[in-house]
Amino acid sequence: MPTEIIMPKVDMDMETGKIAAWHVEEGARVAEGEPIFDIETDKAAMEVEAPANGTLHHLVPEGAEVPIGAPVGWLYAEGEEVGEPPVRKTQGPERAKEPSKSEPKTETPTPAPVTSTAEVAEEKPRATPKARKLARDNGIDLATLNGSGPRGRIQAADVAVLDDRQHAAPVPPAFNNEAGPLSVIRSRGGTGTPIVLIHGFANEAAAWSPIESHLSRRPLIRIELPCHGKSPKRRLSGFPELVSDVRRAFDDLGLEAAHLVGHSLGGAVALAIADTRGNRVDGLTLIAPAGLGPDINGAVIDGIGRATRAEGLGPWLRQLVADDTIITDRYVRAAMMSRKDPDLRAAQMAMADVLFPDGTQAFDLRPAIGRLAMPARIVWGKRDAIIDWRHALGAPGHIALHLFDGLGHLPHLESPDAIGQLIAATL
Amino acid sequence: MNAQAGIEVREISYAQAIREAMDIALSEDERVILMGEDIGVYGGAFQVTGDLVDKYGTDRVMDTPISELGGAGVAVGAAMTGLRPIFEFQFSDFATLAMEQIVNQAAKVRYMLGGAVSVPLVMRFPAGSGTGAAAQHSQSLEAWLGHVPGLKVVQPATPEDAKGLLLAALDDPDPVMIFEHKLLYKMKGQVPSGRYTTPIGKAAVRREGGHVTIVATAIMVHKALDAAKALEDEGIEAEVIDLRTIRPLDGDTVLASVRKTGKLLCVYEAVKTLGIGAEVSAMVAESDAFDFLDAPIVRLGGAESPIPYNPELEKAVVPQVPDIIEAARGLAEGRT
Repeated sequence: MPTEIIMPKVDMDMETGKIAAWHVEEGARVAEGEPIFDIETDKAAMEVEAPANGTLHHLVPEGAEVPIGAPVGWLYAEGEEVGEPPVRKTQGPERAKEPSKSEPKTETPTPAPVTSTAEVAEEKPRATPKARKLARDNGIDLATLNGSGPRGRIQAADVAVLDDRQHAAPVPPAFNNEAGPLSVIRSRGGTGTPIVLIHGFANEAAAWSPIESHLSRRPLIRIELPCHGKSPKRRLSGFPELVSDVRRAFDDLGLEAAHLVGHSLGGAVALAIADTRGNRVDGLTLIAPAGLGPDINGAVIDGIGRATRAEGLGPWLRQLVADDTIITDRYVRAAMMSRKDPDLRAAQMAMADVLFPDGTQAFDLRPAIGRLAMPARIVWGKRDAIIDWRHALGAPGHIALHLFDGLGHLPHLESPDAIGQLIAATL
Repeated sequence: MNAQAGIEVREISYAQAIREAMDIALSEDERVILMGEDIGVYGGAFQVTGDLVDKYGTDRVMDTPISELGGAGVAVGAAMTGLRPIFEFQFSDFATLAMEQIVNQAAKVRYMLGGAVSVPLVMRFPAGSGTGAAAQHSQSLEAWLGHVPGLKVVQPATPEDAKGLLLAALDDPDPVMIFEHKLLYKMKGQVPSGRYTTPIGKAAVRREGGHVTIVATAIMVHKALDAAKALEDEGIEAEVIDLRTIRPLDGDTVLASVRKTGKLLCVYEAVKTLGIGAEVSAMVAESDAFDFLDAPIVRLGGAESPIPYNPELEKAVVPQVPDIIEAARGLAEGRT
């Protein structure tokens, strides 16, 4: 039996995907992991890799809209005879729709594989026991679900997705408010004025690891924002409450002097703390900070917040950088695993709703940056797709600007040496 | 573990821990004797009995002739008539020579005689591959004996359990078979001094995790832990269960873990087919934990092959850390 290539689910809201382009032709030999086609959804475009070694046949034409989980082609192993398109033995999504007449037709002569309705009627949906139990307990008909597992198998996550949509659409995400101080992670070594690092939205203390070696001659203290990393999850009323949470953690450190470094949302928080604790902050580095302009890329924030699988998270993470080859599959997998807790995602989405409603920034720190008395600098990548680097241009003249041509929203990840040395040089 | 007060915990090897257990048993109970080929002056094929013969004499640390069937028969008879023999095989492979005594006599005498006698016998089997000892000295035959009602079969994976399970086996009124992986003999670990027992029939959760359950035995416990550590960097949390006893199986511990993770990977060195992984898998499939499975169960076991002499092939026929990582990752990410 040849291996089927299915339309993957790359986004929670995705029902169908469009074959934007095939990288290889009908009859070509491909190796497992080789990118074979591009898909487009209304939110993202991504490459899909071959699930196995083999020869490609029965490809759905370019431009076709294909339901999630439906085959877009078949891979034949060496020695397997290529005949009619195989009949799919799994739950049968509708056959791929032909592209509209206005779109260019490809020369692929083979028709898309057709699922025999007669056979499907006899077949039960392929589902794991856990998915079956979830469906049974919630009165959900498995036949209405698309499976994201191998061979279209319905797994527990697929049932949960539908469950969320049915019951929780307008209701704010549910999670339990947790009490307690924010998570603070200190390095062992270092002398002199400590550096206090505040990460950005949907990130955690580990975000700083690429530049830590450059800063390690100073004590490093990383504060994790509420609803992030190991910090408690709470429902915040707005930016002032976020700042007061982090400021309490900063005050509890009992430092006489500190250099604050903040990225993105953490930059805005660092700026607000510097504004109110000026006597104890003797230097400030803001990396792609929020709070200096009205707009922000809400789609990416929303996409990262909603993603429940690595396939859905990757396209959004790649928008955070200028050179997306550094966001490897392994990186995406690790990022998704760190976001696996649904409560954490719900808490962050609730936070985003309050801080970044409809692609705007609900707080304005431009007055604060004008009041800064300590040495301060702004570091920004000019290919930042999340917050426009031009927001930096509103800063007063005594704030240093370091603008990098080839970097995106995560300059310290993309160019750790340059950014690490820049911060270290002026300490 | 139920250690007495005043214990001291030291780092000693797995082999030393077994010798210490035998030393404690010999000194506490006159009925305890050691039997086996070359366990006296030579100290045992793997130097586990060491110098115990000097301390307890040849009446209690007995070299037996090169006949596993004969030696095992004497041990069964000794157990039936009031002694507490610990019988050592040079290699577990030679259990095949003693099957009549183990399977037909030791396991069945209590039943055949209406409970009038029991066979409080402990047998020790150096098992497993990895020493370059080739096809007839490297097998993992524990499931053979695990198939026989009347026997208990344990596979300690740590020095602490090697000692505790041996002392627990001596307390048991019926025959207990202990499979000791040869590569573990030199492994060191924290072991309490003095007498304590590790319960037979109770698995240990060696590492907690929520994404995938890895059930392993003997040396595979350590490989699974290495794999779990590597997976941690990817954010995958594997729960590692050391079965410790394969008969009777600790269903509660395994099923509770599967209910939590929904994913099960069984890792064992013995030939995969008809092995302990099949038993664990079937146990889960037959239980209420079935409803919590969110992926097919995966087994990693030995290849359908005698253990090769070539060292590279010897490694290739049993599961290694990268195999475990790959299988566990596939399960955790919903790709299996």
